[in-house]
Amino acid sequence: MSRENGRLHLWAFLQGIGFFPGGWRAPDASPRAVFQREYYEHVARLVDDACFDAIVFGDQLQGRDAAGRTPSRLAIPTLDPFTLLSVMAGVTRHVGLVATVSTTYNEPAEVAAKFAALNMVSQGRAGWNIVTTVHPNSPWNFGAPDLLEKSLRYDRAKAFVDAAEVFWRDAAGMDDPHRQAGLHNRWFDIDGTLDFPTAPQYRPVLVQAGQSPDGRNFAAQTAEAIFCPAPTIEAGRDYRDDIRERARGFGRDPDGILIMPGLAFILGSTEEEAQRKHALMLELADDGLCIEYLSESIGYDLTRHPAEGPFPLEQICAECEFPAGDVRRMLAPAAESGQSIADFCRAYARKPRGHAIFVGTPDQLADRMETWIDAGACDGFTLQPGYMPTELELFCAHVVPLLQARGLLRRQYQGTTLRDHLAVGAGA
Amino acid sequence: MYLSISIDVPDGDKNGFAGLVRQTDRIEKAKADFVILARELSKGRLAPGRVEAVVTLPWITGRLVTPVVAAAIPALHSVPFHIARALSAADFLSSGRAAWMPLLAGGERFDNAYGAGYRLASAEQPAKYADFIRATRALWDSWDQDALIINPGSGAYLDSAKVRRVDYRGPYFTTMGPLNAARPPQGYPLLLRDLDDLLHSGVAADVVLASPDRLAQADKGAVRLVKVTVETLDASLGLVRDGKADGLHLMGANALDMLESLRSWVVPPPYLGATARERLGLRRPINPHSQKGAA
Ligand SMILES: Cc1cc2nc3c(=O)[nH]c(=O)nc-3n(C[C@H](O)[C@H](O)[C@H](O)COP(=O)(O)O)c2cc1C
Repeated sequence: MSRENGRLHLWAFLQGIGFFPGGWRAPDASPRAVFQREYYEHVARLVDDACFDAIVFGDQLQGRDAAGRTPSRLAIPTLDPFTLLSVMAGVTRHVGLVATVSTTYNEPAEVAAKFAALNMVSQGRAGWNIVTTVHPNSPWNFGAPDLLEKSLRYDRAKAFVDAAEVFWRDAAGMDDPHRQAGLHNRWFDIDGTLDFPTAPQYRPVLVQAGQSPDGRNFAAQTAEAIFCPAPTIEAGRDYRDDIRERARGFGRDPDGILIMPGLAFILGSTEEEAQRKHALMLELADDGLCIEYLSESIGYDLTRHPAEGPFPLEQICAECEFPAGDVRRMLAPAAESGQSIADFCRAYARKPRGHAIFVGTPDQLADRMETWIDAGACDGFTLQPGYMPTELELFCAHVVPLLQARGLLRRQYQGTTLRDHLAVGAGA
Repeated sequence: MYLSISIDVPDGDKNGFAGLVRQTDRIEKAKADFVILARELSKGRLAPGRVEAVVTLPWITGRLVTPVVAAAIPALHSVPFHIARALSAADFLSSGRAAWMPLLAGGERFDNAYGAGYRLASAEQPAKYADFIRATRALWDSWDQDALIINPGSGAYLDSAKVRRVDYRGPYFTTMGPLNAARPPQGYPLLLRDLDDLLHSGVAADVVLASPDRLAQADKGAVRLVKVTVETLDASLGLVRDGKADGLHLMGANALDMLESLRSWVVPPPYLGATARERLGLRRPINPHSQKGAA
């Protein structure tokens, strides 16, 4: 089955408006449509026809309102991922549907029930991107003053997934040798599971994106697919080797885990056209937007200060919502050199979120993907279209046929569940 | 006269998908006015369904294209931030047809599944129920209806003055906001209450369901749906005729058959207005933070 499934796995990581913060302003972007059902139905059908493994929506548990001010130029329409994927389930037959859900501000019963419902309405296509929530403002929405420390978050995450597993196994009538430990441990004390209906693929495919040692261990123990940033082939190979080694250490078959680095892209019919489009993306992110973008990343409202002036570093470090040590490390060089706020922010917003960015033609992108696969740097890519829906449409129309002609990507789905598409085995 | 019905996967049905699709498509054909994702307990009370309603609702509104669709939610076990966020998206993607019905019923089942910390004495339950609704609504109030500008030319995406932290502090729930989701098209998605679940609440419902003997205690201005089975149908039609009820919530094993046969002579009301709230002639909720008050 693996052969017909192709060697290259494609996942579509869809933010409402795409990867670039300025992308919503592109002439052919449709920023209002992201509040409409038809938009998600259109996008879902595209990806389903293009034989991707899955569609993924990220999620956050806080508004973006650094120091109480919501940005006015930064488009932040992230609708609830379960809702979007539930809509998409209704108009697709094959593509996997992966929701990002935190284990820190939820209970296993609720999350298990929600994934059971998504799995049912999609008939076995649900996946769970397990996150532990890193934003310092998130706890305030749940009546907690501070985030748990990271190792505790991952400790809870492990116990949380074990508990959810019991719910899913019970519903499917499967035994669970770890049932007692899953329900009663230092995080949970659960007396009974819920009798929700189940579906093919008794539980969602488990996905993770841990980078820290705690995060990597959790991923290596739990995940069937892993997202990571990987700017170079070497970085990709190092990460993949590391995860595979950790998986072996936990007694797992490393071939049961797909490594799926993020890859943002801008396509053109010529390299020049692609470069022009990339330049437009950067230009559309004007100074005001870039300053708001950095403000969000440090939890401090920089729009209070003159854009052409320097960073008031001490004031920022005293008031920022993100850990002051991290913020100081990030801004100190700019503050010392007297670089203006606007100049620094412009440079910062050029490379959002540290992901690799491809700019070029469909042929060049197919070459790059093949090279990475051949080098053992990954099992596929988590694609982040530069802006929506144009770049996704271009990818499906022009890159997908190339990948299929090269025998890298399946021409048709070989099964109906997300786990079938991963072709990594029957699950834990 | 409105016709309402609930939908769920029956007990014992392991993968109830095919049955759920069949029921849904029959309901759509018969044009119900309200569909509630909930299960029926004995004695006519409703409880959260076997399928998780908040995730199922967006899918089912693709097959049920006209009715108000309500998610029955365990009121004592749900988290305002998650519910506010999900129902905002559901309301947008159903063009303003989303509704919610927080319930106390089914609590035991959820107490067991959520863990000991969630158990609450019955005397305290109504207070938590009301606090849950208030906290969720406070998060919807963190955005003004007209906060979004979305002008690609000027680069103005939203008006920062129209989104704020609400710092809600209730006896059971504390939440800062703002919500990371815009105010729903209906302002607040429609709130339903089962009077057989909770007769009085400090929070008025937009739509109430009740057995005939409790109907008279409906919240002022609410749409009143009387619960009926085949056995009580004739008497309940009398209540509608006398202006004591606005419609029927059909229950029991024959509910779907009843819907189909009633629809042969009950003409669906003319639907005017962009959202369910407008259609039902219910007032748009006032956002206390909004400059213009009514926005
Ligand atoms: C492609 C990708 C997507 C991610 N999406 C989310 C997300 O939607 N929500 C979230 O809270 N974290 C998200 N994360 C963060 C990861 O879950 C994780 O916290 C991060 O990679 C750092 O690893 P660590 O937690 O081990 O320090 C994402 C990470 C990557 C690489």
